[in-house]
Amino acid sequence: MDPLMTASRKGFVLRWGFLILVAAYFVVPMLAMARFAFQNVPTALLTRDNVFADWSISGLLTALSNPKIVSSASISFWIAVFAIALNFALLVPLAIVTEVRSPRLRPALTALTLVPWVVPPIALVVGVATTFRAAAPWFLGNTLCLVPFYALWAMPFTYRVLDAGLQAINARTLYEAARGLGASLWTVIFRVLLPNMRAAMVAAAMLTVALVLGEYAFASLLLKSTLPTEMVVYEGRDPRGALALALFVMVITALCLGVVVRLIRRRGVSITVTGF
Amino acid sequence: MTTVGLSGIRKTFGSTVALADFSLSISSGELVCLLGPSGCGKTTALRILAGLERADAGEVWVDGVDISVDPPERRGFGMVFQDYSLFPNMTARQNIEFGLKVKRKPAKERAKTVDRMVEITALGEHAAKYPHQLSGGQKQRVALARAIATSPRVLLLDEPLSALDAKVRESLRDEIRRLQLEIGVTTVFVTHDQHEALAIADRVGVMSNGRLEQLAHPRELYEAPANAFVAGFIGSANRLPASSEADDRWRVLGRSVAATGVVSAPSVLAVVRPEQVAVEEDGPSRVVSTSFLGPITRVTVQDPQAGTVVADIMSVDADWIRPGSSVRIRLRDDVERVLLIDGS
Repeated sequence: MDPLMTASRKGFVLRWGFLILVAAYFVVPMLAMARFAFQNVPTALLTRDNVFADWSISGLLTALSNPKIVSSASISFWIAVFAIALNFALLVPLAIVTEVRSPRLRPALTALTLVPWVVPPIALVVGVATTFRAAAPWFLGNTLCLVPFYALWAMPFTYRVLDAGLQAINARTLYEAARGLGASLWTVIFRVLLPNMRAAMVAAAMLTVALVLGEYAFASLLLKSTLPTEMVVYEGRDPRGALALALFVMVITALCLGVVVRLIRRRGVSITVTGF
Repeated sequence: MTTVGLSGIRKTFGSTVALADFSLSISSGELVCLLGPSGCGKTTALRILAGLERADAGEVWVDGVDISVDPPERRGFGMVFQDYSLFPNMTARQNIEFGLKVKRKPAKERAKTVDRMVEITALGEHAAKYPHQLSGGQKQRVALARAIATSPRVLLLDEPLSALDAKVRESLRDEIRRLQLEIGVTTVFVTHDQHEALAIADRVGVMSNGRLEQLAHPRELYEAPANAFVAGFIGSANRLPASSEADDRWRVLGRSVAATGVVSAPSVLAVVRPEQVAVEEDGPSRVVSTSFLGPITRVTVQDPQAGTVVADIMSVDADWIRPGSSVRIRLRDDVERVLLIDGS
């Protein structure tokens, strides 16, 4: 046989073999989870007879109609919205001004925005809690006190996605071209830069939603009731319903991230995210 | 009509000197090209003119008024960039209209101006398209229309053709010149392509290391380069030994000619263009190679005294020249004056 053919076939087998292995690593536990959550059969052993029997989403529906789950989901939603708003208010102007006015600061800022991930959540919570309990006890009493924590936790990728978005549209020359045509800084930002950053902003927002839907440490340490903490409580009462709910949240998160990928690939604009 | 210029500009980036005491004065309606290798400071000079960079010292002026501290939006200049820099969220028409909108021109006037711009840049049906639907040449025409729509006092072009392929480059180059003459706008055009500069400029400023080496009409630049750098950068040139004779005349390739430039150095070289060298049959030199370039044939000759010499011969007269032929080279009879440079 042609040695070149053999080599390329070997490569093909290796590539696909590896891909299937990785896929199985993710998919098999999830299928097992799905079966546990959605199939009402008493036996754990999977046989040819029971594989299609008694599948139902009643567990999920029960979980979704639980008032505590509903209220905590709404809390998580609002926390995500406020965290996104807070991050945009801070980081959009910062990223734009850095890019168009002092691009030499970019590497420093890229490093600085990574700092939240260097501090473990427990250290952050203990530090903040000690300070605020003395200075402003009302702050920790409110569930929305999680907003700044999540905003901080989402900062590394929010900044990177915004920065990558600015790079992808060549924001600096757009800014210079617009200024040359007589536009003020505000006109450039609102009429030229922001409309072209929409994809990056939606991507950053979706990543933040995904983070809030999966974050447990901060909420649990601060004794707040969010969707993830409520799901852990619910698991004690109805393990199968909780698992169904977890799968449901996972699908929503995956859809969010799917939107991100689509937006990033749109119009052939390739966004290279630096610093990860 | 507007005259514009830079005087005594100095600009450094860290320890790199981008411009050192740079001065340039451009007459009304003139097209001046700044030409030089990359890193020579030509783009920096243009960006200082536009107000996108601030000079460390020196003055930018328009019609005698110092505008050094004015921000770009108050200078009223039009600028075209190498990478088009069209606004991706706007159609070609909206891009052209942007400067007029910012200046709060009434809608009717805006529509009229944009129509005229679309017409003179021959954009036609492409005017309704978004930048990502346009080809490189079309994008740059939109950028040009956008820059001139606001009737700028001065038009600044930063390597506007560098990202385009050869054919589009040439036609757009001629189009830019035609438009510039038609509207009579004072223009500065930065490029690293000497053919581009020589083809469209009223005057060309050759730059190196942050200095203006020579500012002259293209033909003067080619025929009477001010120094070795200009001679080497514009066209190609042989550097041949020259020996001093009586009455300030010099002997180059067997002929006695007048000279300009350095004459006091211990060793002096004459700058001779390939088309100034004649090749004749039978002699002490040997043809190393020939290359056919259409109307002319470029012949490389090894000469016992002058070393390697390149000569451009009309192709119709070059039939007999083959690699290995024995030839004699000399300076053509119509050459009266050569440039001398320091050869030590």
